[in-house]
Amino acid sequence: MRITRSLARSMSAAALLLLVAITAVAEEKRWVSSEGTTLKAEASASSEDVSDVKVGTEVSVIESGGRWLKVRTTAGKEGWVYAGRVSETPPASEVAGDDGGLFGASLQKSQINTAKADSARSIRGLSPEATKYAKDRGTPEMYKKSLDIVLARKVSPNELKAFLKEGKIGEYAQVHGGEK
Amino acid sequence: MRSLLCALIALSLTAASASAGFFDSLQKLSKPDSKEGQYLSGATQLLSSSKDVDYKTERIIGESLALEGLQRFGNPVKNESLQQYVNLVGNAVAGNSKRTTIPYQFAVLDSPVQNAFAVPGGVIFVSRALVSILEDESELAAVLAHEVGHVAGKHALKSTQRAQFFQGVGTITAASVGGDKGKKFASAIGDMQAVLFDKGLDKDMEFEADLAAMESTYRTGYDPSAMIRVLQKLQKLEASSTNKKGSWFSTHPPLAERIARLQNQLQKYPDYSSLASVRDRFSKHAIAGK
Repeated sequence: MRITRSLARSMSAAALLLLVAITAVAEEKRWVSSEGTTLKAEASASSEDVSDVKVGTEVSVIESGGRWLKVRTTAGKEGWVYAGRVSETPPASEVAGDDGGLFGASLQKSQINTAKADSARSIRGLSPEATKYAKDRGTPEMYKKSLDIVLARKVSPNELKAFLKEGKIGEYAQVHGGEK
Repeated sequence: MRSLLCALIALSLTAASASAGFFDSLQKLSKPDSKEGQYLSGATQLLSSSKDVDYKTERIIGESLALEGLQRFGNPVKNESLQQYVNLVGNAVAGNSKRTTIPYQFAVLDSPVQNAFAVPGGVIFVSRALVSILEDESELAAVLAHEVGHVAGKHALKSTQRAQFFQGVGTITAASVGGDKGKKFASAIGDMQAVLFDKGLDKDMEFEADLAAMESTYRTGYDPSAMIRVLQKLQKLEASSTNKKGSWFSTHPPLAERIARLQNQLQKYPDYSSLASVRDRFSKHAIAGK
């Protein structure tokens, strides 16, 4: 009887430890690290969109299936994400303007600033400062024009998705990998 | 009971590590020492950020260097379809780099020298000659991701002592590009040109960019061994080339050493051969660049 009780105690301790282990796995944190990340209803790029998630969003891994992870955001949204789109550490923040700030606020603000700078740039092209540099250095006009065109070139998130899909790359790969 | 506990601890450790999976091994690459170390370095970076060169300044430096680069290596190839294609491949890997929050632009330059270079702020050039020796999209992605790695690591900015000039100046304005300050600015740009186009970056920066290229291409879904294949192609060319000036041979550390390091790193991506290389689409676009 004593043996049975001791065994039962050991087994419940084992069950408890296993539970702790499973919880530890379940609560693993990841951070969205790629632009244009979308949570999907299933582990497939062709499944329904659940929600778009921004770079820097913290998620908990609740299930793993090959190159896809089922995650939950701190806002409670659940969905599958391609594993290449998240990382174990928060992405480095970018301070785009001369305003400092800390952590989340800074990251978000910088993204907005970058986006603003980006959209302004598409109209402006070469910055006034670099234009002045070119003038002072006597840079031939043709190079300024060429760089203007390079700087104005943009790729939209939708164009990028269509491109990856066409090439069967990453989350758009077939079960046995992409086009070889 | 003790052995049971040990077994359970071992089991829980195994469970945790099994859940980590392949992708985590690559994510750990970007981790210097520990998680705590990361948080600390992140915080330090943010706290000291106001002293660093801000993005606007970085971009002005980059645009000025890009103007010099165009004069040295030639104008972009006049083929809009190829230029758009290179921008799509480049942005695909940049979106999975360590620095995703800035805009990136890519261009193929009409140059007979096999080279690629990045200027601060995210403008990246690859020569027509380098594109012409590549065989598929994953190889192009590797070259572009390597250059994105330099931008993300701010390698060019860190490569000149005169970068201190930029740190002191705060945000550069048209006024600081003119007059006496302008002379200092031009001289700092001159320094960086010498590093980027002649001397080459520090070899540790090259290794870092190689590893970053493997990681970004892998995370995007391209075969990460493409970076090795590109270097092997350059190695063959290097053996038969007499004029190495300005090419990836002269501005980078020994190819054999880079290849050896990457081959070692490839073990972290056991499923690499199942990932995309996309040969047909590349051939369709790259013919015009040859």
